[in-house]
Amino acid sequence: MKTNEKVDVVIVGTGAASSVYAALLAEAGKSVVMLEKGTARKLTDLYSSQTWARRLKWATPHVMEESKDSIWYNFNAGHGYGGAAIHHYAVWPRYHPEDMKEYSLYGQALDWPYEYDELRPWYDKVMMDVGMSGDAEKEIWRPAGDPYPLPPVLVSNHGKVLARGFEALGMHTSPIPMAILSQPYKGRQACIWDGWCDAGCPTGALANPLVHYIPRAVKAGASLRPDSHVTRVLMDNKGVRANGVEYYDSEGVKHVQHADLVVLGAFTIENPRILLNSATSKHKNGLGNSSGMVGKYIMSHPAVTAFGMFEEETQNHIGATGGQLLNQDRFPKEKGSFGSQQWEVALALKPNDLLGIAMSRADLFGSDLHSFMKKASRSMTSMVAVVEDQPMIENRIELSSKKDKFGMPLALAKHTWHEETRKLFHDTAKEGLKIVKAAGATQAWHSPPGGQHIMGGTIMGSDPEKSVTNENAQCHDIPNLVLGGGGIFPTSSCVNSTYTIHATAMKSSRYIADHWGSIVS
Amino acid sequence: MTLSRREFVKQSGLALSFAVAGTTKLLSPADAYAEGIAFSVLSDEEVNNINAICSILVPGAKEAGVAHFIDHQLNADPNDSLLVLKYFGFPPPYLDFYRPVVSAIAKLSQSMFDKNLSDLDEKEGRKLVESFRDANPEGWQAPPAPLAYHALRNDAVDVVYGTPEGFEKLGVPYMEHILPPEGWS
Repeated sequence: MKTNEKVDVVIVGTGAASSVYAALLAEAGKSVVMLEKGTARKLTDLYSSQTWARRLKWATPHVMEESKDSIWYNFNAGHGYGGAAIHHYAVWPRYHPEDMKEYSLYGQALDWPYEYDELRPWYDKVMMDVGMSGDAEKEIWRPAGDPYPLPPVLVSNHGKVLARGFEALGMHTSPIPMAILSQPYKGRQACIWDGWCDAGCPTGALANPLVHYIPRAVKAGASLRPDSHVTRVLMDNKGVRANGVEYYDSEGVKHVQHADLVVLGAFTIENPRILLNSATSKHKNGLGNSSGMVGKYIMSHPAVTAFGMFEEETQNHIGATGGQLLNQDRFPKEKGSFGSQQWEVALALKPNDLLGIAMSRADLFGSDLHSFMKKASRSMTSMVAVVEDQPMIENRIELSSKKDKFGMPLALAKHTWHEETRKLFHDTAKEGLKIVKAAGATQAWHSPPGGQHIMGGTIMGSDPEKSVTNENAQCHDIPNLVLGGGGIFPTSSCVNSTYTIHATAMKSSRYIADHWGSIVS
Repeated sequence: MTLSRREFVKQSGLALSFAVAGTTKLLSPADAYAEGIAFSVLSDEEVNNINAICSILVPGAKEAGVAHFIDHQLNADPNDSLLVLKYFGFPPPYLDFYRPVVSAIAKLSQSMFDKNLSDLDEKEGRKLVESFRDANPEGWQAPPAPLAYHALRNDAVDVVYGTPEGFEKLGVPYMEHILPPEGWS
């Protein structure tokens, strides 16, 4: 076993939340080490190919599923520096105020421990840090916030064709808010709209962690260690404070990294897995788990893609993978099919991979497939709806009886959509077909459900008996153990999670930096 | 502008390192097929069957090097694998998927038509695929047949349409930022 030199902060993970914690705490003068289970990766490793893009995802199973509705771990998680955010599409709408007080307003789901107004300044700060493109006026559903620093993303004929359908049905579209540069910003170049976002953007136009917060962290003195498989958070002898982590390197050598503060930003599934695997005689059910809430309330957005075939050319190969336009008309939450829903309109398409043209008609093969590919490459449209998943205590992560090569139990996911969520999903799929037909499609069809944006499992809350962390993402039980990522969200809204992961991590990082003495002593 | 052979391979978007006579060559799967590069994992029978079923699923898959692509990836660290199978939750090693499903499809061909996969005509090929695309056919002894359909179809789509040549066939510009960086060695 190797014991490394003690640092102020050890961060498990290098994704969206971890990179923000690393940058802000290193800039506050703390010594910071980031441990990444996956490989070291730099922007120049991000090849323009949907086939090569699969290197950004895990194959080694960390999660077993006993789910009626899969959480789609392999598609959502990330392998290597930048984590899942390295291949995210940078669609960055904000949570709405009602998303954060659903129990108070509707008697359903949960409340966050704070309201939107407390998060708003951190959304604004992140937006100005990384650069966002959008139109706050036209985005009529947008909660209070500063204007976007950059004009909207490109709208090609793909977006214009689909906008006709929304308009015909009396629905509104706006430019989609994106953490992609429509113009040069702070020394970074603008996007050229070539649709390779899913393969990882190497140009710096899309705000993945390798572009902004990791370089800031490294500049301030943080270091990154790849191939570092964290198995446990370590506690002091009294069982009161975390004092580091245990991990294995690529050679199988066990390391101990002591630190005054431990941040778990290891993805929504890995955080509860590590906490549950860190049980001690004083924390028999795992760390941070006196409430029994570690692993509970796992959520995953149901998503459905609506496709259309048109007579005209749609230019579906250009733009951003995440789309060109947004619709949130169906955001208000209604009884019977409770939850919000949004459309991301005109997704840039490639021929292959799960979201590619060929998979949109997975039933076709042979000459029928080739005819379809020729026509669809010219004239197909695509738009995806994201549907809110409700927090349910029975949806959870446990430890599996199966173990990885380091002897650590795999995570076991159990997840089923709420019946109202299922109804909302089906209503949404029908709505998608109506919109596409109203736009003039000669054919309209939709995908089966998929899962996007895994959240919950280590939720925030005001009540230590019903949640894992407080409003600053500190474990109620262990104040110098901090959780980062979508795992702390008590509700899922219907918006893409990465922006809110950044904002919540920044809010927490600033609090920790400002109250360092009381937190670590 | 005419591309040199090296430039062409580098721009293939799917150039992989193949061992050739003690050295390593960077080749697209299509070039590996054209050059008759030896297989390292798959047997001759498996290669023939993969070529046959993938060509039924996506015409041109054999010539695009689908068998070389799969064979190459079966040698890779699973986390670096380019196979779509990694999305579908099937745990590595992936040979435990390909070997039984290819064998099961070949047996299905025999039981339905008393023919090898490579001898099926277009109509027979279609009937064969329709018999396992949506559910396990009777007597199927392998990972789920619909998963076999999706994985093999996606592999074939990757090599036929997922490369600059494939994009060109569809009339779509490739617009790459960065191509695989390996050179001849």
